Amino acid sequence: MGSASLIVLLIIAIAFAVVAVYIGRIFGTSSTNSVKGEPYECGIETKGETWVQFHIGYYLFALLFLVFDVEIVFLFPWATVIRELGVVALVEIFFFTLFLFLGLLYAYKKKALSWM
Amino acid sequence: MYAIITISIVAIIVLFFGAFGKKKMILPVIFVGLPLAFIVNLMGWNQSIHYFNEMYIDDNFTIAFNGLLLFIALLIFVFAPVYYKSVKRPLEDIYALILFSLVGGLMMTAFGNLVMLFLGIETLSLSLYLLAGSKKSDPRSNEAAMKYFLTGSFASGFLLFGIALLYGACGSFNLEDIKLYVIQNQANIPAMFSIGLLLMAVGLAFKVGAAPFHFWIPDVYEGSPTLITTYMATVGKVAAFAAFFRLINSSFGDVDFLWKTSLIVFAVATILIGNFAALYQDSVKRMMAYSGVAHAGYMLIAIIALKGNAAGVLLLYSVSYSIATITAFAVLMMVRKETGSFSIKSFNGLAKHNPTVAFAMTIAMLSLAGIPPLIGFSAKYQLFVSAIEQGQLPLVIIAIVGSMVSVYYYLRPVVAMYFTRSIESTPFEAAKLYKKQILFVALLLIILSFIPGLIINLI
Repeated sequence: MGSASLIVLLIIAIAFAVVAVYIGRIFGTSSTNSVKGEPYECGIETKGETWVQFHIGYYLFALLFLVFDVEIVFLFPWATVIRELGVVALVEIFFFTLFLFLGLLYAYKKKALSWM
Repeated sequence: MYAIITISIVAIIVLFFGAFGKKKMILPVIFVGLPLAFIVNLMGWNQSIHYFNEMYIDDNFTIAFNGLLLFIALLIFVFAPVYYKSVKRPLEDIYALILFSLVGGLMMTAFGNLVMLFLGIETLSLSLYLLAGSKKSDPRSNEAAMKYFLTGSFASGFLLFGIALLYGACGSFNLEDIKLYVIQNQANIPAMFSIGLLLMAVGLAFKVGAAPFHFWIPDVYEGSPTLITTYMATVGKVAAFAAFFRLINSSFGDVDFLWKTSLIVFAVATILIGNFAALYQDSVKRMMAYSGVAHAGYMLIAIIALKGNAAGVLLLYSVSYSIATITAFAVLMMVRKETGSFSIKSFNGLAKHNPTVAFAMTIAMLSLAGIPPLIGFSAKYQLFVSAIEQGQLPLVIIAIVGSMVSVYYYLRPVVAMYFTRSIESTPFEAAKLYKKQILFVALLLIILSFIPGLIINLI
């Protein structure tokens, strides 16, 4: 039973992928013109080289954003049931934010927050 | 449990001492924190406490392996100040990452829940990916980090998919619940369950470096800084084997027909490929990497011969492998510092001007090869005896053949040290730095050779 359903799932998955690729080729119309080769179908064309390097600061900011992102993911469910969980959960969430704050403090001391 | 908390706090303190510019305080904190964690770890002996709804199980198996991991980490930190002596940049991030990955290793030995296993493996691996690339100016180190990251995350995918399929079959992540499910449905195990188990075995075989999933080991071990390689080859491997053993032992002991054949194939392939590939290496570091692969094969035998005292045998083998590997890598660090190369030629004539170091290297190599008075022999002997008791005679014969082949490549550096004349005959400058520490681990190896019975009967 388990084996059969797994094989059926495998066949359906492969068939779905194959059909999705070829259905466009069968039913779609194809045309070639000069616009099709351009990098964007809307907006203005870029000036200069498009392979520019981004400042490393962006990555640092993205990493720091993660600190607050994780914080809100855990704080929000806690906040919805704050009454039921009581004081213990309050203390625990305090420790949790303390550790996240330590992460922020470390980033600050390593000068990750200063631009350039 | 409290060892994990201690190590985490020590790691955070190390980070902040670095960030606030108190560099002199970093190593003392580590040398106080690791023994403290070791003592705290021992306090739960014989109590078998379960934390967080069976997520974390603090039984004697956990405590023995966690004690070993903490001890190995301490030995590696003994070499850290001399290894990084000439490095000017702040090192608190490297030390903190080693400690964070140690936390992952401590979790892996103690998991009672598959989610905890995955969490532990990822904590260990993510830190190791960074550590492999910690020599930022060296392209080989960067290459090692990239290769390790790509292949390692691929293996994590296998592991996670396996966990998902097992959850689909049993409806639980808990090892006890899975065991109950296995006992109830022993006669008709669904395909989902066996495929999940196989995928998990593949993921873990990758992490321990068993063939045919060993391809990353030589490149990553060779490219990483030697201290980090030592750490990966000891803590990473021991933790992964403890996790593998706990997984199979606590849930799948009754359905050994599902995993035994594939593990035997893994073990045979690992022993043969590891030993025969090591024969052709000219770089001692790469040879040690293949030796690590071969030893992974022997340790897999402990998992295959599950009944009896397999946990004790695995512990003894882990102790003998780790201490001998640390000794060998420490000598390698010293030779590399002096000659700038890892090749076997750089060992030429070492015995003449540095007899102590040559002696330590000889002891380590003989122990790894399994020559009688040393602990490597007792470990292999106990392993083979317990495997023969389980009726795995053909596997043991292959392992013994592999072991005999290994004597050749383990003795190559020894021959180079004692019987080949070197061009220069001045004593190594670096030997002054490393001599005491190397002598210490070599003596430890000799002392441990007298007490294999004590270690094997610990758990």
